[in-house]
Amino acid sequence: MIIAVFTIVTYLIYLLSKKIYKKVTIAAFHPLLLAPILLIVLITITHVSANQYLQGSKLLSHMLAPATVAFAVPIYKNLAIIKKYLGTIAVSITIGTLVAMVSTFLLSKLIHLSDDFIVSILPRSITTPIAMEVSKEIGGLPALTTVFVIITGIAGGIVGPKVLKWLSIKTPIAKGLALGMGAHGVGTSKALEYGKQESVFSSLAMIFAALITLVWGTLLTTFI
Amino acid sequence: MKIMGVILQIGFLHVFLFLGIALKHFIPLPIPSSMIGLFLLFVALCCHVIKLEWVEQGAKWLMAELLLFFIPSAVGIVNYQQIFSMQGLGIIFLILISTMIVMGVTALTAEKVSARKKGEGH
Repeated sequence: MIIAVFTIVTYLIYLLSKKIYKKVTIAAFHPLLLAPILLIVLITITHVSANQYLQGSKLLSHMLAPATVAFAVPIYKNLAIIKKYLGTIAVSITIGTLVAMVSTFLLSKLIHLSDDFIVSILPRSITTPIAMEVSKEIGGLPALTTVFVIITGIAGGIVGPKVLKWLSIKTPIAKGLALGMGAHGVGTSKALEYGKQESVFSSLAMIFAALITLVWGTLLTTFI
Repeated sequence: MKIMGVILQIGFLHVFLFLGIALKHFIPLPIPSSMIGLFLLFVALCCHVIKLEWVEQGAKWLMAELLLFFIPSAVGIVNYQQIFSMQGLGIIFLILISTMIVMGVTALTAEKVSARKKGEGH
């Protein structure tokens, strides 16, 4: 019962946020920012605790797992494109994951983050279920990692299009790979706004980033 | 009718997720079950064990509404008071800068590499 209520309320607020965002298209109204804010306001007014809400909306967060499985479909359908661009994808994402981890590590040191925060923030640029797994493996706190993954998604959804514009990135492959690499699923849903090709490359970037980060994570735990 | 189809297909995708969960016990690597499920579904599609039409609509819906599934975790951020402190501001700043660098470098690399590939082709 509670699950049904929270799921439906979240879904309606999500639809509303998407509608508002479509009308105003201001970065601050991104659905991943607006919907949670509206929900936080709503649960505060109705005296529902955050943990009660999290319990009640479990069905929705659970859907990330079958959604990850679902990415087999675009991979299968675009096998020809993958074969054609495998080199570009592999090189870009290997460099992307390295830059993500190194820049995150250096900036964490710069703002004097504690060690458990640092290991929790390292896998932030990859999709949640996999980031949590990597975090666990390298000794981070999975729940904290989820928070960083979400902030990364919001940040990427907002600054991603601007970065692509500033650097005058033209090709669908570069746009797609950058969005999927930089902001996982959120970037991929942004890529869908650009076009079909962009979204394919973005999903591929997401999957490759997850796989390659797993490799880095394994190496990191083996040698440190 | 379309909604029923989508729900049924999401159910079917869970079969691969559960297979992934089961198989994870036998794989000594830190690979998430959903990733194993992805791989299994991919193999099943390639070997024509299952038809694309059996999962296509469900998969399309899940991927199109991906943002929705992140929302509960985003609400969960309120549990981390630290995020709303000075250090939290630093972390948000860190993530913004790093994400911009990552996207910029990835996009530029992809453009360079694919341009070179094109050059070789001609």
